[in-house]
Amino acid sequence: MIEVIQISRGGSGGITGAKILAESAMYEGLDAQAIPKYGSERRGAAVEAYIRFSNAPIRIHSPVYEPNHAMILDISLLDRIDISKVDPNGVIVINSKKVPEELKGTGRKVAYVDATGISQELGLVLSGFTLVNMTMLGAFVKGTELISFENLEKAIRNYWGEKRAPKNVEAAKRAYEETKVVRA
Amino acid sequence: MVVKQETKSMTGNDAASYAALFAKPDVIAAYPITPQTTIVENLSRFVDEGKLEAEFIIVESEHSALAACMGAAWSGVRTFTATSSQGLLYMAENVFWTGYGRLPIIMPVVNRCLAPGWNIWPDFQDSMAFRDAGWIQMYTKNNQEVFDTTLQAFKITESKDIALPSMPCLDGFVISHTTGQVDLPDPEDAFEFVGPYDDPVIELDVENPWAYGSMTGPDQYSKHRRDLMVAMDRAKKKIIDVHKEFEEYFGRSYGNGLIEPYGDDEADLTLVTLGTIGDEAHEAIDRLKAEGHSVNALRVRTFRPFPVEDIVEFAKKNHKLVVIDRAVSFGHEGPLRIEVEAILKRHNVDTSVSGKIMGLGGEDVPYSAIMDLVKKELKE
Repeated sequence: MIEVIQISRGGSGGITGAKILAESAMYEGLDAQAIPKYGSERRGAAVEAYIRFSNAPIRIHSPVYEPNHAMILDISLLDRIDISKVDPNGVIVINSKKVPEELKGTGRKVAYVDATGISQELGLVLSGFTLVNMTMLGAFVKGTELISFENLEKAIRNYWGEKRAPKNVEAAKRAYEETKVVRA
Repeated sequence: MVVKQETKSMTGNDAASYAALFAKPDVIAAYPITPQTTIVENLSRFVDEGKLEAEFIIVESEHSALAACMGAAWSGVRTFTATSSQGLLYMAENVFWTGYGRLPIIMPVVNRCLAPGWNIWPDFQDSMAFRDAGWIQMYTKNNQEVFDTTLQAFKITESKDIALPSMPCLDGFVISHTTGQVDLPDPEDAFEFVGPYDDPVIELDVENPWAYGSMTGPDQYSKHRRDLMVAMDRAKKKIIDVHKEFEEYFGRSYGNGLIEPYGDDEADLTLVTLGTIGDEAHEAIDRLKAEGHSVNALRVRTFRPFPVEDIVEFAKKNHKLVVIDRAVSFGHEGPLRIEVEAILKRHNVDTSVSGKIMGLGGEDVPYSAIMDLVKKELKE
């Protein structure tokens, strides 16, 4: 079983992104689950989501406490994730132009991309929030190599439909191409 | 032969909505409340897009939502609604009216705890408060079972010899908003299983008017209630039969439809659960067995009618039942434990029973916590 924790800001599309990631894992032939953590979360607040992939049916309904991988959609939320709980062999996928200072020298595998920049260039902005969810999924599949880009694209197209899919696929594709994977 | 199905990725609320869509209700009246909201949103969209030819009645409260459904049910058409928590409490008067009036309404309850404090997370306090309202209550463990149970509910509830409303229960957020895989049949195959509602339980006829719900003396009143008791008893076999027929159509089953045993027939300790904790318990059982413990599980799928005989038979072969309740009868114990303990006593089964209340207000119940409970109970 692979477990992922995602943290984002309410309004940036993290919950939708987690759903689409689960669907793309399903196309990969895996059992998949995406759990949004709701509470008093509102626009701008930190929002967590948990994603699981498994070869066997998933019977666990709890949040993820010790993830294999972490996905951080807003660099200011890096300190909200307890990196020590993330599998040392896992990947930290982050929306950042460079390896964050906090991760330097930790030996962690980091996949980083300027998702905000890509999304803004493509006009993926809604009510003042830059939608980095699809962009970050491109970075996630590149960094973790768990899901093919083709299956991610299929899930994105299925969710957004003909009219809105192209921009979202483009965002994921650009991130997939531009993500750098390094040992910090 | 099992019909063709396609695996889709969807939330538990989506699964409930698809079951309703495929069963083609004629009337839906609902008022949105977290975490039920997306069921109503989906159905309203289906109607708007022309995918579902139903009268979607917009109301100003849950009390009115169920009142509208009651009127529709009296007119002899297939009727659907859904609610949660405070919404269920607000419709309380009509919940009992529906049950005691034997109106065939399907109403998934997306379980959410009751205020105060204000909390949108799951426990079973809301639906448990209505266990005596004359509704069939079935608790589900995952998204797939939500679809399957909701579809089965139409067939059970609308049988003339049953005529009892159904409340499929699903844990708020843990199922309702969690994305998972659901094998969906073609709408035509699902509808063929449910069948059209062309022989209504009850049907008002303006050419032949009659009164219902008028002043009823003690003799007639008590007869009605005794009829309800007997109908609940008959519903057990109906649930088993519909579940069996469902398995023939779709290839999936949950024990016999009333209870779902898991693991060996006999073990040192048996976990007894409801809802998603039942699924999590299966994970705990496998891990405990790998550590050399003798444990199995029994998930009570149908809580009303209570599967007395099935639980007694299972308990006879086992030694110690540990019941996990996600609700409390304050001043006593968890409702599931109370009932399990009572039926064993009545049937002279000396299997010991203990229990723990877990998961109130969305408190997480991971398999590790269940494993800890089992290990502690095994020592005692």
